[in-house]
Amino acid sequence: MNVSYIGRTLQPAAGFKQPLVLTIGQDIKGFVLRHLGRLALFILTCTSVLAVFLIFLFVILEALPFLGKFSIVEFLTSTAWYPQAHDRPEFGALTLVVGSVYVTTAALVFSVPIGVLAAVFLSEIVPFRIRDIVKPVVEILAAIPSVAYGFFAVLVLAPWLQEHLDFATGTNAINASLLLSIMALPTIISVAEDSISATGRELREASYALGATRIETMFKVVIPAAHSGIIAAIVLGMMRAIGETMVVWMASGNASRIPRPWWDLSQSVRTMTATIAGDMGETEQGSDHYRALFAIGLLLLVMTLLLNLVSEYFLTRAKKSLGKS
Amino acid sequence: MKLIFRIVFDRIFTVLTGLTVFIIVGALIAILGPMFRRGVGAVFLRGTVEFRKVQLAEFGHGDEAQVRAETERTGLVRAKVYEMIDRFKSGIDTRQLSERATEIYRAFGAELKLKEIPREQYTALRSLSRDIRDRLIEAFAKADIEQISQDVEHVLQYEKDERLKGTASEDFFRLARQYQKAAAATNLNKRDEYAKELAELEQIITELLGPRPTEDSPTLAQFRYGATRWDQAKKLLHKLHWKELWVEQQSSASLMRIEKSRIEEFAGTELEPLFRYIDDNLEKMLEPKPTFYWRYFLDDSTPGHYFGGIGPEILGTLLLTLLSMVFVVPFGIISAAYLTECTREGPVVRIIRISINTLAGVPSIVFGLFGMAFFVLFFIPLFGGPSKPCILAGSMTLAVLTLPVMIRSSEEAIRAVPQTYKEASLALGASSFRTFMKVTLPAALPGILTGVILSLSRVAGETAPILFTAGIAVGPVPKSVFQTTRTLSYGSWDMAVADKLSAQVPHNQYGMVVALVSLILCMNALAIILRSRVFKRLKGH
Repeated sequence: MNVSYIGRTLQPAAGFKQPLVLTIGQDIKGFVLRHLGRLALFILTCTSVLAVFLIFLFVILEALPFLGKFSIVEFLTSTAWYPQAHDRPEFGALTLVVGSVYVTTAALVFSVPIGVLAAVFLSEIVPFRIRDIVKPVVEILAAIPSVAYGFFAVLVLAPWLQEHLDFATGTNAINASLLLSIMALPTIISVAEDSISATGRELREASYALGATRIETMFKVVIPAAHSGIIAAIVLGMMRAIGETMVVWMASGNASRIPRPWWDLSQSVRTMTATIAGDMGETEQGSDHYRALFAIGLLLLVMTLLLNLVSEYFLTRAKKSLGKS
Repeated sequence: MKLIFRIVFDRIFTVLTGLTVFIIVGALIAILGPMFRRGVGAVFLRGTVEFRKVQLAEFGHGDEAQVRAETERTGLVRAKVYEMIDRFKSGIDTRQLSERATEIYRAFGAELKLKEIPREQYTALRSLSRDIRDRLIEAFAKADIEQISQDVEHVLQYEKDERLKGTASEDFFRLARQYQKAAAATNLNKRDEYAKELAELEQIITELLGPRPTEDSPTLAQFRYGATRWDQAKKLLHKLHWKELWVEQQSSASLMRIEKSRIEEFAGTELEPLFRYIDDNLEKMLEPKPTFYWRYFLDDSTPGHYFGGIGPEILGTLLLTLLSMVFVVPFGIISAAYLTECTREGPVVRIIRISINTLAGVPSIVFGLFGMAFFVLFFIPLFGGPSKPCILAGSMTLAVLTLPVMIRSSEEAIRAVPQTYKEASLALGASSFRTFMKVTLPAALPGILTGVILSLSRVAGETAPILFTAGIAVGPVPKSVFQTTRTLSYGSWDMAVADKLSAQVPHNQYGMVVALVSLILCMNALAIILRSRVFKRLKGH
């Protein structure tokens, strides 16, 4: 098969059946197919967008009748959560929100210093060989399922706390936040380490050349330079902690009241996630209580979305600032 | 001077950072250590004869003839324990004795009714036996040995009565003699106390050896057998010797635990040698043997996981995770391919990426809510499926949950394929689609596999999303994807918090969670090994 092309005849190699130059029809067909294929891929890729959309849609749809029937202000500001009351059930989620924030904050108090220092240790101080041992340990911590942490909290830590620290109950805010801090550590360490090791070598060398010690270099040069990434790490750790269900459900004691005095971590609290997990089994589908739980889910979703945006903002800023330097 | 401070601060800082790593490693050991230490006991144990009985009766494993021989052998040694208790009891348990007397009285009455005797004689005999019964019951209630003898003598004088010979009433006299003998041997003032203690003792012995062979088999499986494990038997032996008491302390409000010797309480009675006997012969009564219970991973369990294994849980976990992979892997690879090969960064891609990040940040419990509202109540019924939690709904929920993990890891794997591979293929005239299918994808496949394994391990451990979509704590092994299932993660939660019965079998509690954790850690280890090999290969040549 010979094809005439720009006045010359191309001789295909022996046994080669394909035309060397496409006809117009084949060219168009290829073009159309290529773009159709891309379109199909694009549509399939949009599954994630669709999934996010559907999650919001269905949680909002289930929560909407509740938000129409009860006042949103009361939902957000009242501390009375009596969903099972016969005559007049009350749905005030403030206690639960406070519980979630309380446990999360306590967890961050434990995990942020440890996480940031560990990130400094891993990226600055140890030789690569030790780093290769410690990193898998952190990965294992991230891989252990939350129900196993909860199991540990209930059956090992709670009795220990009760016996050795003389608490009234072992399942309390400190138990939950200790476990949450361990669970948030891997996130904090890996993101913070990335951002610390991404800061330029020149910065450190300049600082050391001026006679600064390591601690001064870290706190006055490297950490300020990497602050966006570290903040993103903390926010991501916070997201992990606030959305965690099994550990807080099992370990926090599930007493729906605001701790008083506020610093007493040995009291039981109840979080939003634990309330959804614990109450859903007892509710009738379509009842006010059921819808209230979806409203809490919506609140949780909005909170994590906001935190997600904050972390995105800081991560982009970290990338940009490092790109400049 | 200032320099010294600076150096000291620097050193402290270095030590502190090192300390944090110790804290992290320590936390890992503190969490996994006790878990594994106790969990391993579910599989490696010293199983007693009771264990082999459970295996044979409940699950149909083991050598029947051997178990029967062991049962007989141990039964002979155990018989003596029961004999000792019974002998001691005959002087102690007044209620049982009274019941026995009443029983004899009734039996005698029934016997009389069947006989054709004149009415007057019948009434006389009836009142005579009633008299004997009342006298005996009176005697049982008395604490003074002389008064008891009087009563018993009074009863025994009727033994010579011709009318009573060869009837059921002869049991009265046997009972009276037995009682007289037992009463002489025990301190009658402490009788009530003894009775209470004996009931406790018998309870412990039942826990240790199982119900007596003469008793009916209890309905609940956990009461049907004695201590199946030697460590359990040792604990019960300790409980047998030492009675646990909680006493009020003067200084504080909490109670203090003390242990009181049971031997001392029974000192001087006929029961005292029992303790010695059980001590010496426990091994013969239970015949412990080192056992490797590999069937733990296959066996079903009795309620509360009291006996048996975690077979259905493992099956359910595998079903759920593999099915979710079927849904998520195609989407993950296609999305990753599109994001890496077909587009450049732009607003549309930005939206997709933000969506993926958002999806990754959604709390797992919200996935549970979404799975229930969307898959269970809307999507599956749309295609004619049941509007109930089921494996299909659960695995779809988990697929959505793990989509970001899958996309990110596939993307990373595809990006790791050197550009030269693709360029070589394109230069040969292959289309971009063909290049992707024949060159990029095969080269990226091990990396993608790593991502699949990581997603699997993530999915296997998730509990919150399947709470309302697929999981149950107790139930049959699923036969189709439209049924609920037990899983390791749900089971771990249930055994730790919800199921009070499983608190009595800590080895099974820990066994479940250790099975889950080891499954996940093995998958992670596999992924780490695979990943390092892939990167070596792609970089190395």
